Amino acid sequence: MDPLAGLLSGFAVILTPQNLYLCLIGSVIGTLVGVLPGVGPLAALALLLPVTFTLPPVGGMVMLCSIFYGAMYGGSTTSVLLNIPGEAASVVTCIDGHQMARQGRAGAALGIAAIGSFIAGTIGVVIMTFFAPLIAAVAIRFGPPENFGLMVLGLVCTLFMISGSAVKGVLMVALGFLVAAVGIDVVNGRERFTFGSVNLSGGIELLSVVIGLFGLTEVFSNVEQRLKTTVVAERVTGLWPSLADWRASWRPMLRGSGLGFLLGLVPGGGPVTASFMSYALEKRIARDPQRFGKGAIEGVAGPESANNAAVAGSLIPVLSLGIPGNPVTALLLGALIIQGIQPGPLFMTQRPDLFWGIVAGMYVGNVFLLLLNLPLVGVWAQLLRIPYRVLFPVVLLLCVVGAYSANKNVFDLWVMLAFGIGGYALRKLEYDLAPFVIAFVLAPLLEQSLRQSLVMSPDGAMILLQRPVTALLLAASAVLAALMLRRKSSPKGGGGS
Amino acid sequence: MLERALNVFWIFLGAAAAAYAWTLGLIGPSGPESGLFPLIAALIVMGAGIALLFSSPVVPELPRGAALLRVAGVVGGLAFMALALPHAGFAVTGALAMVILVRTAGDSSWVEAILLALASVAVVMWLFGQVLGMALPRGPWGW
Repeated sequence: MDPLAGLLSGFAVILTPQNLYLCLIGSVIGTLVGVLPGVGPLAALALLLPVTFTLPPVGGMVMLCSIFYGAMYGGSTTSVLLNIPGEAASVVTCIDGHQMARQGRAGAALGIAAIGSFIAGTIGVVIMTFFAPLIAAVAIRFGPPENFGLMVLGLVCTLFMISGSAVKGVLMVALGFLVAAVGIDVVNGRERFTFGSVNLSGGIELLSVVIGLFGLTEVFSNVEQRLKTTVVAERVTGLWPSLADWRASWRPMLRGSGLGFLLGLVPGGGPVTASFMSYALEKRIARDPQRFGKGAIEGVAGPESANNAAVAGSLIPVLSLGIPGNPVTALLLGALIIQGIQPGPLFMTQRPDLFWGIVAGMYVGNVFLLLLNLPLVGVWAQLLRIPYRVLFPVVLLLCVVGAYSANKNVFDLWVMLAFGIGGYALRKLEYDLAPFVIAFVLAPLLEQSLRQSLVMSPDGAMILLQRPVTALLLAASAVLAALMLRRKSSPKGGGGS
Repeated sequence: MLERALNVFWIFLGAAAAAYAWTLGLIGPSGPESGLFPLIAALIVMGAGIALLFSSPVVPELPRGAALLRVAGVVGGLAFMALALPHAGFAVTGALAMVILVRTAGDSSWVEAILLALASVAVVMWLFGQVLGMALPRGPWGW
């Protein structure tokens, strides 16, 4: 389907009262989780995933995507006003955004963050509109060996981009594969790692794993540090940037959009990396880099644009190839699989309504988010008055309901708790949890591709080297892996999204 | 010390999983069997565990004193919920667990904790039970 015709059909899908309502709800929830420190987009998506089971696939996916990029919009509010990032991709906005607020320019910082997010989000979706079908058109010719090579490259890229020790990242990937192997082997119906347990024969539930690893660990960390968000937010005025602000910001916005989109495409990249890279780029090319850290508006415009463009970029591999590049897109992939939909090269031709509905929903969502974040920024700022001791019990209750709702089985609560405690301990030991989740989601697809490849080959594993595209992808993976292992295993930062 | 112990655990876990995967079969007449993929993963876990054993360990900042109690309170509250949920239903279990959680981890007064627990449970039950039509576990009294 022609991209423009596809996009128009997508608007026909999205412009219904129900889908618009779900897009708005997703945008509101996304902004909310972005604003509130201690509740990240991944945890919010995991908690709300069961809600989408009762919704039509288009509406459910549009809502989940809106939460993802809504969090990028909302995250800047706490960064600017409190110097506390609402979510990880807004960490870098604290540096200059909060300095601007201290100089009485909170309105300009928030305004440029929202407008930059809108511009970058829109640019990202426009590129996605034309770029995703091209990738899918190429990938449609791929067979199991190529898919296997592609997934291996995706995983290696993820490992290459993670913080901390590469060996720990590799271990997390392998552990993700092992945990995903629990249950019944779909090829021959044989039970694996179930040890006779009925609860394990259905496999380990994705929701329990994600809620435990990212929802509970976040609560444990915040409770340990006694996170306080009781802040009196000052009245925010002067949201529309001045001419001087525009002059200083438009280039960083465009650069951030391009950089963010490209980094979103790379597995392991995504909004967090994009915002940091954009800040580093702006500082490096600035005529007077000493202004950075003292309230330079470029330090807000670039990263905030980059993290929003990265969202659109990161959706392309998952929708056109079925390969998630970060835990959030892994969860979106999981949501589609739960709905009985297999993303990948055929997704666009088999479910054009869903693909183009999601794309069109992103255009609409960006408009909603601009409206929600510019005029209503004062309302969001007031939410910062909610103390964490009020917030965390509600988050925990949502964790319990979210984990329970998938199978209506209390066993999933134990799984959630086990992964929560395990994830908390592993973060303390500087393990990055993102590769685990990506591997856990990808494992069935990867195993299926490997087994199909081996079945179709008379030369066994040699098929992986005999097919040129697969060989190229595996060679690229090997080069990246070699580069990664050469890096000093200096652990920095824990896991997270 | 903690990390060393964890690395040894990875080695044993990998070895045990590899041994188990071996029993599932690797290659059969119709191609790869159920054990091949888990075996590869298990061997990687074991190998990474061995590699980590020879790297410098991280000294984690573990919670102590009141911080440890707060984290333990959250774990305890959730464990209580998982235990009691099938018997007492969501409303009662949720409210009791929330009181435990808010008291131990949130540093609230008893009155505040009870009010907060009741309000949280009411909101979640209304949202998931009424608005979204999700069947939450009920106690012997029917709610």
